[in-house]
Amino acid sequence: MSTAPRRSPAPERAREEDRELLRRYHRDGDTSAREELIQRHLPLVRSLARRYAGRGEALEDIEQVGAIGLIKAIDRFELERDVSLATYATPNVVGEIKRHFRDKGWAIRVPRALQELNASMSGAIERLTGKLGRSPSIAEIADELKTTPEEVIEAMEVGSAYSTVSLSTGPGGDEELDPLETIGDEDVEFERSEHRAALEPALDRLAPREREILRMRFEEGLPQTQIAHRIGLSQMHVSRLIRKSLGTMREELLRAPPGTSA
Amino acid sequence: MNGSEERIDLEAPLSGDFQAVVRLIIGGIAERVDFAFEEIDDLQLAVERLLAEAGQVGTVHLTFEVGETGIRARVGPLSQRVVEDALQDGDVLPGRLTLRRILQTVVDSFGVEESADGRIVVRLEKLKGIA
Repeated sequence: MSTAPRRSPAPERAREEDRELLRRYHRDGDTSAREELIQRHLPLVRSLARRYAGRGEALEDIEQVGAIGLIKAIDRFELERDVSLATYATPNVVGEIKRHFRDKGWAIRVPRALQELNASMSGAIERLTGKLGRSPSIAEIADELKTTPEEVIEAMEVGSAYSTVSLSTGPGGDEELDPLETIGDEDVEFERSEHRAALEPALDRLAPREREILRMRFEEGLPQTQIAHRIGLSQMHVSRLIRKSLGTMREELLRAPPGTSA
Repeated sequence: MNGSEERIDLEAPLSGDFQAVVRLIIGGIAERVDFAFEEIDDLQLAVERLLAEAGQVGTVHLTFEVGETGIRARVGPLSQRVVEDALQDGDVLPGRLTLRRILQTVVDSFGVEESADGRIVVRLEKLKGIA
């Protein structure tokens, strides 16, 4: 038996593997390489997201926002850069998370009680779904959380608000125009609108998990509760991911030049 | 939908700022019918996708007929031809994610109607305890 000291996973080798995947993606257009890069660096996103936990937002939501930063970093990475993807991605992930909190402005606009109610709703819905064998009603959720149906509905909306962040954030960052502001005259708008009817070319812009959620929901026709169970997320989170993914896909189609697919 | 129905009319700006308000109102209406959380979410998503296709300028009229078994919503005018095209497609091919497919998944029935001034109104019907 060897007594050689154990070595941590060779960072140099991991870096080389990243570069090879980046080459395959950027030079050959190999989207499977992109997906592999996303998967390889999700632990980094989780680690960074944990720093922002406990601020009234579910950790899984923060991770999701961070993953957007990771995807942007992968897409923008220039092969000539003498820097590892992890190093390059870190400020992108953190920036995305900070922007999320800033844009959402929870600390200013949403009462803490409502933030907390939103954060506790996920667990309540999971418990009730398990207990009742179906998606609970608002009255049942309110009863479980000892609050009013009106407050539950308000808290639902608080939780769904963040999809506007990704819809309004272009690939160039804050300085770039909102995609919706770049729409030109009516003819251009109409040409673009023809492409909106078929969203699927923009599916490639989504992370594998989001694509799989959309496939389960709209191809298999599975209810959110079952999807949530299959992939280990809360129903509320699945709901938000579906809405956000559809919004992101539409954004991609709006951004694509007329006459092309996203 | 059967039974007596109550009707709610809403005129809302198409500006994205008001989509959250529309969602909130749909949540409140659906709660009165005792929709499940997921059913409310489905109806909100259907309306949200239609509003996304309606542009950002002007206003949209939403009507909700609330019955014992569910909610019938009408959203319009949606003047862009893409909405009509998307909804009047033939069969949806596997792997294509169209507005039609989304609506087929999240509501129990839908259709296109023409308003008095010839503009497009989309009708959605969501029943309680079906999906």
